[in-house]
Amino acid sequence: MLHDKIPKILLFLVCVVLGVMISTQFRSTESANHSIAQQRAEDLSSRLKATEKENETLKEKVKSLEENTGADVKGEEITKLRADSGYTAMEGPGVIVTVDDSKVIHKPGDNPNLYIIHDDDLLRIINELRASGAEALSLNKERIIDVSEVRCAGPTVSVNNTRFSPPYEIKAIGNGKTMEGALKLRGGVVETLKMWGISVEVVQKDNISIPAFKGPRHYEYAKIKDGDAK
Amino acid sequence: MIYPILGVLLGLVLGHFLPVVPQDYMKLLSVALMASLDAAFGGLRAAKEGSYDPTIFISGFFVNGIFAVFLCYCGIRLSIDLYFVAVLAFGLRIFNNIAIIRRLYLKK
Repeated sequence: MLHDKIPKILLFLVCVVLGVMISTQFRSTESANHSIAQQRAEDLSSRLKATEKENETLKEKVKSLEENTGADVKGEEITKLRADSGYTAMEGPGVIVTVDDSKVIHKPGDNPNLYIIHDDDLLRIINELRASGAEALSLNKERIIDVSEVRCAGPTVSVNNTRFSPPYEIKAIGNGKTMEGALKLRGGVVETLKMWGISVEVVQKDNISIPAFKGPRHYEYAKIKDGDAK
Repeated sequence: MIYPILGVLLGLVLGHFLPVVPQDYMKLLSVALMASLDAAFGGLRAAKEGSYDPTIFISGFFVNGIFAVFLCYCGIRLSIDLYFVAVLAFGLRIFNNIAIIRRLYLKK
């Protein structure tokens, strides 16, 4: 009797093992699907949603604050301060400087880096424009303010954390004649760049519009000095 | 016939309470699972053919499973994908057995 049952019991046990394996495998696969990559994606998307929500509420707050303050504080002074800090779009006469990578086929043995526009080339142009009285500057679509960086980021240039690739278009409002003259000085910026075949085009225009600075400004370390706050 | 089905069901329930296998060992477990499934279908076929022997079945079940896992483990260590070979071989055998079982049923 018992001897007859043994194979069946063994079969039963074997099938138990099989069942355990199937369900363990199934659950492991389920948990693997929830593993790092997916968790990260879920995490990021939830964070994005939270940030977007925060952004929305902050925008509403800004709007309501603007409406409230506009009434009792001198609007004119605010506008002037906003213009000073680059938060308003500007227009006026000036120059547009277009800079593009060299089209010259470089000679073998030459450093190809010399034929590419670098951040320091752009900075030299911007500096020259400032020195010759530029009142508002922009690079491509980004306003250049006091804290704007102009920096190589791989093959691109980053301005206000926005990346641009050549050609670069620098707009400057100011006395067009003075600025063009300053750039085209003998031995000046344009001449140096042209030596490497980098094309620099300076055009004077009667009406240039320069966009406003769109980014936020945070003061993490700097504080307004006591007594200077009104 | 009732014993195996009951066994699988009990196993599924038990497996639900066991810890999850870490990612690194999932390949090994899947190979073992394929080997066990192969042994189970082989046993079913043998039962249908009337040549079922519990000793052969049970030894085949465990030896196949353990050996497959061992081979797969060696493969991982030597960076040879024996995992695919094992899964393919067992998969082919399972389909083969299913085909024979079906024919045996139809003949009856």
